[in-house]
Amino acid sequence: MNAPTPALVAPRPERLRLVGQRRQILALMHQRLMFGMLVYAGVIALIVLRIMWLAAFGDHAGRKEGLTALVPDRGDIVDRDGEPLARTIDAWTIAVHPTKVIGDKLALSQQLAKLMPEHSADEYFAMLGSGKPFFYLRRRASPALVEAVNAIGEPGLAIEREPDRLYPQTSLAAHVIGFTDIDGHGAAGVERAFDQELSDPRTRGNPLVLSISSRIQQALEHELGDAMAQFSAIGAAGVVMDVHTGEVLAMTSLPAFNPNAAGQGTPDQMFNRATLGVFELGSTFKPFTLAMAMDSGIVHGPGQTYNCPNVLTAYGHNIHDTHPFGRTCSVAEIMMESSNIGMAQIADQVGTERQKAWLKKMGFLDKVEIELKERGRSLTPGSRWGPFETMTIGFGQGIAVAPLQLAMGYATLFDGGVYHPPTILKIGPGHQLPPGRRVFSEDTSYRMRSLLRLVVMKGTGKKADAPGYRVGGKTGTAQKLINGRYSQTINLTSFAGVFPMDDPRYVIVVMLDEPKATKDTYGFTTAGWNVAPVVSRTVSRIAPMLGVEPDLTREPNMNEVLPFVQDAKQDTKKD
Amino acid sequence: MSGRSFRSLFMVASCAGAALGCYLVSLRVASERASLEDVETKIVLTQRDLRVLQTEIGTRGRFAQLERWNASVLAMSAPSADQILRGSFELAKLTEPQHQVDFRAPVVLASAPAPAPQRAPIGESETDDAGSPTGVAPAALLRQASLKTEPLKTETREVPEKPVAQTPLAAGPQKRDKSIERPVTAAKPANKKSVDKPGLAAAKPSKSVDKFVLGADRTVTKPVRLAKVDPLAPLPDKHSPQNNKALTKISKDLHTGR
Repeated sequence: MNAPTPALVAPRPERLRLVGQRRQILALMHQRLMFGMLVYAGVIALIVLRIMWLAAFGDHAGRKEGLTALVPDRGDIVDRDGEPLARTIDAWTIAVHPTKVIGDKLALSQQLAKLMPEHSADEYFAMLGSGKPFFYLRRRASPALVEAVNAIGEPGLAIEREPDRLYPQTSLAAHVIGFTDIDGHGAAGVERAFDQELSDPRTRGNPLVLSISSRIQQALEHELGDAMAQFSAIGAAGVVMDVHTGEVLAMTSLPAFNPNAAGQGTPDQMFNRATLGVFELGSTFKPFTLAMAMDSGIVHGPGQTYNCPNVLTAYGHNIHDTHPFGRTCSVAEIMMESSNIGMAQIADQVGTERQKAWLKKMGFLDKVEIELKERGRSLTPGSRWGPFETMTIGFGQGIAVAPLQLAMGYATLFDGGVYHPPTILKIGPGHQLPPGRRVFSEDTSYRMRSLLRLVVMKGTGKKADAPGYRVGGKTGTAQKLINGRYSQTINLTSFAGVFPMDDPRYVIVVMLDEPKATKDTYGFTTAGWNVAPVVSRTVSRIAPMLGVEPDLTREPNMNEVLPFVQDAKQDTKKD
Repeated sequence: MSGRSFRSLFMVASCAGAALGCYLVSLRVASERASLEDVETKIVLTQRDLRVLQTEIGTRGRFAQLERWNASVLAMSAPSADQILRGSFELAKLTEPQHQVDFRAPVVLASAPAPAPQRAPIGESETDDAGSPTGVAPAALLRQASLKTEPLKTETREVPEKPVAQTPLAAGPQKRDKSIERPVTAAKPANKKSVDKPGLAAAKPSKSVDKFVLGADRTVTKPVRLAKVDPLAPLPDKHSPQNNKALTKISKDLHTGR
């Protein structure tokens, strides 16, 4: 518009330069302004977008984190039916911060002493005046006490909740479950063996399912405890096991402790006799020797005979029978009357090397195979294992195994000869049954049924019979080794039973340590008198729970053994 | 022109409105989500409370405690093998009528003959009733007394085996049966009160008495019982006399027993 007219006066070259510069500067300023505006708009846009994003998808201020699922601080332990055996609860804890106490310390200490008499008023006063910042007064306090302490109204008293381990069934299966230390880590039993799983946040949400059944455990503990009290035994152990899977349905060791107050338990109570303790279990070993001999082709059947004199002298030692035959007797009779002499001869025929190989195969020379950490190693003659030791091991002396190991041996023998490692976890979707290992032949397993049923029907284990449940088994009375000598009076009695014998499903092993004679046992302390009745009572209690149908008419095929038994003796005083 | 100049304003307003609408929707969603979370939290807290309560109940009702209570109060024990039945057939077998002699039954019989003494004099002096063909009166009285109360037992027992010494009285007893049975049935209610018999036992004899009265004529009701005795040997003809004999025998036994 105002284009420069051809000026009359030619502009001065400086002005022209000035106009060019101004334009340049103006353009530059525009550029900068535009840039700043863009930056500003971008920032605003970012903020707006972010706000919108938050409005649309963001969390609101009152959101509570971590409460969408109930994950305990330590995993639960439940039995096979889902009954809780160990749980973590929020327990009340009472503590005091002495520096924050504002009230009268003397009055406060007196009140505390009245409410919690474990310390005297003087001790509480000393505590309050010590100047230390913190004292625990009571952990796992009862709600009533918490209420009373709260009513004192002293701000220096702290009442808090903290996770605590609770065992609702108290001493039931205490040795299996174990307990935790003050930091909440497992110190024994399953708590110790599965500490990792129980405390890992990823796995602790799901309870750990044990193979234990509380009801069976209770029946076993109760009956065993009764017998222990009746015969004034110093200890007892019991195991109930599933023959086909190796699941331990009940395992107890008495005297037991209360895992809720594990610190109060004595070492004797804490000792797990079922897995950690090893004992010479005596004649309960005989079926293994016989099975070895049958599988090795030495014994062809229950009718095979052996010479059973009153005393057998072998390798410079005399072997006695508590009830000597003094004649030729059949294998069926040797089992029925639990003859050491007969069984020693069979063991001798098996031989040391073969016996070792068999015991190794059955898992008797190693630690018992179970998830628990408290496992005992069996005791054997070791380097002294000669022909005479072979004989004594044949009838159960000179080898010490854990009761669980014995149960495992019977389970192997009656599961068609297939070994399954014992397990404390329930076999199911999360824990598959591991493949078994064949130890004995199926035929041997089958033939042992009638032999062990014979022991209960006519032999030393008559009192173990539970009518209708076809219990078979073997008694065992071992003399205890005291100061290097076998005591003639102090025994360790055991019974290993299997039921129902026509189709074995469960093994029960019970053991009493040093039972005393009573009037009812006519002075005897042998297994037939004290542990066999425990088996009878326990089996009649647990068999219906386990789904074993009572049938008074069914039996294993007894025709295989009965023809080889001469006039059955009526006494049961032998082991 | 004005419309054109306001167009941009409308655009802005509609955009803002849409954005606000979207925002409101998202706000609504967020609040719903928040309340859902509250519910979830409540569920978790309730689960925790449940857990605590379950634990407490489980602890108070632990097996050892139940066992202790059982030992001190209930004293229940595990069922024995013969207490466990394997199906409805075995259960039905339990309701089978009892065949054994109820030892309380004779008490009823003993009181039943009370009306009999009316006839006793007749028995003593046989010649008085010479006109009627009655033979031995006392014995006849006795057996009839038993007749009413325990016909069932006699039926279930092996009836035909034992002929009684009083066989010669074939014609006589039947008449007497009827005559003497009636008083006894009438007397029964009193007996029931005095002796506490189970309902079944009290009910059966009266039925059987009815049948005995009608028995000879009506065989329709009988086959059920006959089948119990011996299904392979139908005894419709012999039945009534034999029964009578057996009854006399039992009545004797009972009386001697007392």
